[in-house]
Amino acid sequence: MLSLRNVSLTLHDKALIKPFSLEIAPGKIVTVMGPSGSGKSSLLSFIGGDLDEAFTARGEILLNDERLNDLPPEKRGIARLFQDDLLFPHMTVGENLLFAVPRMPQAERIAAMRAALEQAELMGFEDRGPHTLSGGQRSRVALMRALLARPRAILLDEPFGKLDRELRVSIRGFTHAHIAERQIPALQVTHDPEDAPPGGRILKLTATGEVIDV
Amino acid sequence: MKIHRLAALPLFLIFLLPLALSLALILPVFADAAAFKALLNHPQFWGAAGLTLFTGLVSTALSLICALMIIAGRIDKPPQAGAMLALPHLSLAIGLSLLIMPAGLLARIIALPFGWTSPPQWVTTQDPYGLALMAALVLKETPFLVWAFASLLNRDDLRQSFAGQRAVARSLGHRPASLFLRVIAPQLLKRTVWPLVAVLAYSLTVVDMAIVIGPTQPPTLAQLIWTDLNDAEPATAARGAAGVLTLCAGILLLLMVVGLSIRLGRPHTGKWLSGPPGTGLHKISFLTQIWGLWSLFYSAIVILLLFQSASGLWPFPNLLPEDFTLSAWVKLLSDGGPLLTSFLLALATATTALVATVVWLEGMRPSRDKILLWLSAFLLCLPSLLIGLGQYRLFLALGITGTALAMFLAHVLPVAAYVFIMLQGPYRGFDGRWQATAAGLGQQRAIFLRQIKWPMLKAPILAAFAVGFAVSIAQYVPAQLAAAGRYSTLTIEAVTLSSGGNRALVAAYGAALMALPLVVFLLAQWLSRPRWRMR
Repeated sequence: MLSLRNVSLTLHDKALIKPFSLEIAPGKIVTVMGPSGSGKSSLLSFIGGDLDEAFTARGEILLNDERLNDLPPEKRGIARLFQDDLLFPHMTVGENLLFAVPRMPQAERIAAMRAALEQAELMGFEDRGPHTLSGGQRSRVALMRALLARPRAILLDEPFGKLDRELRVSIRGFTHAHIAERQIPALQVTHDPEDAPPGGRILKLTATGEVIDV
Repeated sequence: MKIHRLAALPLFLIFLLPLALSLALILPVFADAAAFKALLNHPQFWGAAGLTLFTGLVSTALSLICALMIIAGRIDKPPQAGAMLALPHLSLAIGLSLLIMPAGLLARIIALPFGWTSPPQWVTTQDPYGLALMAALVLKETPFLVWAFASLLNRDDLRQSFAGQRAVARSLGHRPASLFLRVIAPQLLKRTVWPLVAVLAYSLTVVDMAIVIGPTQPPTLAQLIWTDLNDAEPATAARGAAGVLTLCAGILLLLMVVGLSIRLGRPHTGKWLSGPPGTGLHKISFLTQIWGLWSLFYSAIVILLLFQSASGLWPFPNLLPEDFTLSAWVKLLSDGGPLLTSFLLALATATTALVATVVWLEGMRPSRDKILLWLSAFLLCLPSLLIGLGQYRLFLALGITGTALAMFLAHVLPVAAYVFIMLQGPYRGFDGRWQATAAGLGQQRAIFLRQIKWPMLKAPILAAFAVGFAVSIAQYVPAQLAAAGRYSTLTIEAVTLSSGGNRALVAAYGAALMALPLVVFLLAQWLSRPRWRMR
């Protein structure tokens, strides 16, 4: 369960997001929509732990009743996906995935990596460079990498924004299915109402900073 | 843009042709088997080779480690190293030796609490292991690498991409130190192959710094070769020429070994790169603070050079001289030849290189730049011994050794390479719509260039000139060979004086060497200030 309590966001004394609270149950995806510059991405940065110093954020972030506010990003257990897949260009596909696998015997780490490749239907791509993959393949690797870290929550920052229409539908389905299957709470921001899973909760950020249910 | 093949002529005459001829004229040396045999039988050869390998590899590795540590904590706001690059390496070596020599400032500071009355029996400069030389090299090369990394980190596209990759790596559980070493550093290194090769080649072949502060029994290979090259005996000079080629072949071999081990070690590296979160050095952020040492050291060197150049009688262990005198500066100015020669050469070569570069950039297709950029980067990695030897043989063949023309050609070659590298990017990046706008207003090209393009590119043009000027001032090996004893420059004079005992005069030359390019840099900056402040 990912919970936000009385979270608000201001930039140079301007209230971007007025205090609001939110609970996301395991496996559920809550979608936040709003105009550019409304503070959607900054909200995700606040939860992820790397908000720019120019912003002031208030309120509590709780994950299964543990307060996250004062933890550094790497201790929060919150995976993030961005518009760019951000695969490390100097590592092979396999190394990119391994980079996320927690400390355990190397044989088990490699087994976890191979299982992820199989789920992404990318067997045999282990030793390839990321630049040799198609856009859809890269997106699947990025998702698998995030899941391999065994995150307790996932933040999606317009992760399908750069994909063409057809690919968008399939990657969206792939991503949402994995999140639901692993029972991870997820928060996503997007411009496209179709990105919200069927029956999923949608919040809208208004120009005045109110957060309203759609 | 009008394309005209003749636009390549100026750079061809001062850069491409001399470079090609110089390299070609070195080839016959390969046939001189006797010279190579004599070199291998040189009693100091193997000692010098071992020492060279040791000082070159250790100083390069240390510079790289220091530069990475400095950058690690400041990825968002890399430090400004540009000002430090402006200090000539010879001034740095002279300043460092004045600082650490037995009767130097450092010993005086230590003498104070310990009550020493005579200088310690230190072998701090010209020590047999080359420690002082390595210190000088690390102090000089680290800011260069910091600058190279910083210019990558300041690039918009890379900054964005790195910021995203860092956010992802942290969300996957990696701490800042771990993600710097595994994610950022490898990508920086991959993009700085040229600067790294240049640093290694320079550290293995530097002559002037080694003469001032390097070991003597045995010396480094570069010094050994340099002594031979300057010998009047033809057989000895031939042995020196064979030494130059051997040194270059050694560097090539070393680079191949390094390249091959990086390639063969890739699976191993990959395993380390993709290691689990929660490992890695945690202390690294602490060590980033060492950048302060560089600021401190460079300020100390500048002050010490100026201070010592004006010192009169200065008995040990006094912290201050008993009196101050300008006699060293009076001597430097009354011997005006080296100062004037250095100044005029720098002025002439930087101006010529700038004009030749602008003519190329105005008249040639942008697609032709690539080969010239590559050649320039290649030239900067070539040891000055090799290019100096080639030029010397060229001047001999032309019968112009010891003439002003030879001095000009010897200096203009590296200057042209630097000016082209500096100016190509900004000049080609100039927005083509300005020209379309001017043409649309009915203006001719000459007026467009004079009144719009060049004024708008004033800052990079003047910066390229200033760098060219500084490069010319710093030349030693090609200058000394081309001069054949008929000309002297500040650099030649400073190296010669460094073995003498007149510390004030050495310091004055070290300071003049530093002041001349500095004045031009400041002038360039002042001239390119904006007409009005933008909000």
